[in-house]
Amino acid sequence: MILANLYNKVIGFFRQTEVQETESAKETACNRLRVVLMQDRTNLTPELMERMRKELVELLSKYVEMDKDALELNLEQDGDQVALMLSIPVIRAKDEDEIKAALEAEDKEEEMSEEESDEESEDETEEENLDDDQDLDDNSEAEENLEDESENSDEEKETGK
Amino acid sequence: MSGRVIVITSGKGGVGKTTTNANIGTALARAGKKVVMIDTDLGLRNLDLLLGLENRIVYTIVDVVEKRCKLKQALVKDKKNPNLCLLAAAQTRDKSAVTEEQLKDICEELKKDFDFILVDCPAGIEQGFQNAVAGASEAIVVTTPEMSAVRDADRIIGLLEAKEEIKSYKLLLNRVRPNLIKSNDMMSVDDVVEILSADLIGIIPEDTGIITSTNKGEPIVNDEKSLAGKAYNNVARRIIGEDVPFLNLEEPQGVMAKIKKFFSGLTGKEK
Repeated sequence: MILANLYNKVIGFFRQTEVQETESAKETACNRLRVVLMQDRTNLTPELMERMRKELVELLSKYVEMDKDALELNLEQDGDQVALMLSIPVIRAKDEDEIKAALEAEDKEEEMSEEESDEESEDETEEENLDDDQDLDDNSEAEENLEDESENSDEEKETGK
Repeated sequence: MSGRVIVITSGKGGVGKTTTNANIGTALARAGKKVVMIDTDLGLRNLDLLLGLENRIVYTIVDVVEKRCKLKQALVKDKKNPNLCLLAAAQTRDKSAVTEEQLKDICEELKKDFDFILVDCPAGIEQGFQNAVAGASEAIVVTTPEMSAVRDADRIIGLLEAKEEIKSYKLLLNRVRPNLIKSNDMMSVDDVVEILSADLIGIIPEDTGIITSTNKGEPIVNDEKSLAGKAYNNVARRIIGEDVPFLNLEEPQGVMAKIKKFFSGLTGKEK
């Protein structure tokens, strides 16, 4: 028994180091496939994903100060369901005044843009493409990684219908 | 009698659809079932070659559709097994020579006399695929543990799911190479099943015997010793409804592996 355990441990040790050193061909294949199938299944091209990422950064920066470049947006599969995973490294929570200011600025902008709404029609049609029922409707989650200032841990989790 | 119509499809070419068709058909016939195989790959027929029947074909599916012969006249009997028949594809025509409706009618007609109607689907997702699927209510999706084959299988599964007539589909993983899986160079059976989230009906090991069997026009299920033959036989038994465990292809070889297996057997850690 002891011998067997020892043997398994030794074998396990070698296996682990092997795997850690470099990603195996099989893992590379699996990971690449997962990404490509996610795109195949949802019709979300890399451009559309990038656009979605940018829009989310814009939206969320009203409420928190975050590391915009480190924001990750990925489609992940969990069994039959496709989930949209958003990971945002938060640098600092904004205080009330800042949030208010940001929101007011936005309201003003909206008023402005309502007046010159012709230009936006183009944008809207593109956004509709995103809505094209793409199996995504079931599940969307937003996660916040509060890195440094965990005392401001207003965790925000959104779960779609 | 009302037979089951099973379409064998894959999306990608060269993954072993026709080989699978010939072997499952032969295995089902050996198990005493009445089987007819329909080759719908018009213009690129091959099923006749794998069965060694290429010299016996008088009429093809196109002759049936264009009423130059009766359906029964076009069925070619297998050399060895009287339970097995082939309805060959025309080699000189293209995919538009037969329509979805016509294939549906042929399947309906054959259901009366056969237990199983296996439809060999052409590669691709165009009209040829649509035709082949038209008369079927079950599907077997053949894939290999390679990225492009898995991706195409995923596409096919999506299309099959959208078809109301297809009541169920199963995955058949072909050309599995246990050694490459062991060394983490190839996706494992579990990886593929997880990625495609589909039910598995068979795991067929890569087998050089397939090449010789194709050359001879003799399906490998007739070779009792072949591992791939055994695996195909098991698939046929599962189709009939038997509960057959999957072959253990990863039987450890070599002294170290045997020692390890011995020890892990003692500690009960083996899966």
